[in-house]
Amino acid sequence: MTLQKDPARNESKYLHRFADFTSRRVLEIGCGEGRLTWQYAQNTLSTVGIDTDRDALRVATVDKPSDLQTRVQLACADSQNLPFPKETFDLALLAWSL
Amino acid sequence: MVHALGEIRRVLVPRGILIDLRPVLDRWPVEVVSAREARETGRLQDFSTGIADDEAANSAVARASENAWFSRDQEEFFPFDYSWDTPSEMEEWIADEWNDFLGMEETTKQATRSAWALGDADTRVRVRAKMLITKWRVRGASQS
Repeated sequence: MTLQKDPARNESKYLHRFADFTSRRVLEIGCGEGRLTWQYAQNTLSTVGIDTDRDALRVATVDKPSDLQTRVQLACADSQNLPFPKETFDLALLAWSL
Repeated sequence: MVHALGEIRRVLVPRGILIDLRPVLDRWPVEVVSAREARETGRLQDFSTGIADDEAANSAVARASENAWFSRDQEEFFPFDYSWDTPSEMEEWIADEWNDFLGMEETTKQATRSAWALGDADTRVRVRAKMLITKWRVRGASQS
């Protein structure tokens, strides 16, 4: 299979045009295998990626770039019941998941 | 979905930002593409289940807005391309991955195969998905 997804990288361009991730505490809902996460997490203060798909999270855990090991945390959780206290994040990203 | 938006509001700081990024069905174009040109060979079919999913998402954000949970700061559409070397790979992907919400008519398959077969060596096929990105900002104090 020779599938290329978004070769023009429009998704990343628009994401950065719409949001400044610098020094933000970010929650990504529906992070999947981390395809989008790796494109913005570098400049965040911290990033938590959640998904209900455990297989996708395993792939994301293996693929997580070495420079993001401490900055990005991944968890199996549902957006209907977020396991975080009130006012934990500066920015939330609903990634292909609404 | 509305409950999830309420949860997101709860965990965001006052004036926090929510980015909603998602594909929306709109009979996405199928194209045969080379360095010289991009030619549309047809459009995908939107299934009722996919349209219902989009409507449910739109309804949820409308409710969240009506509830004064979020205010809309910015919104735009942009293309997200899926590109394959051959039409058969594209057809296989669509049948395997997207069959719940969209499909491809036989006439579009035939037109795409023919245009690709007549193309240059670098000719590929692509589906141009339509993406919606919206920036929302938390309004007022968050719920406990």
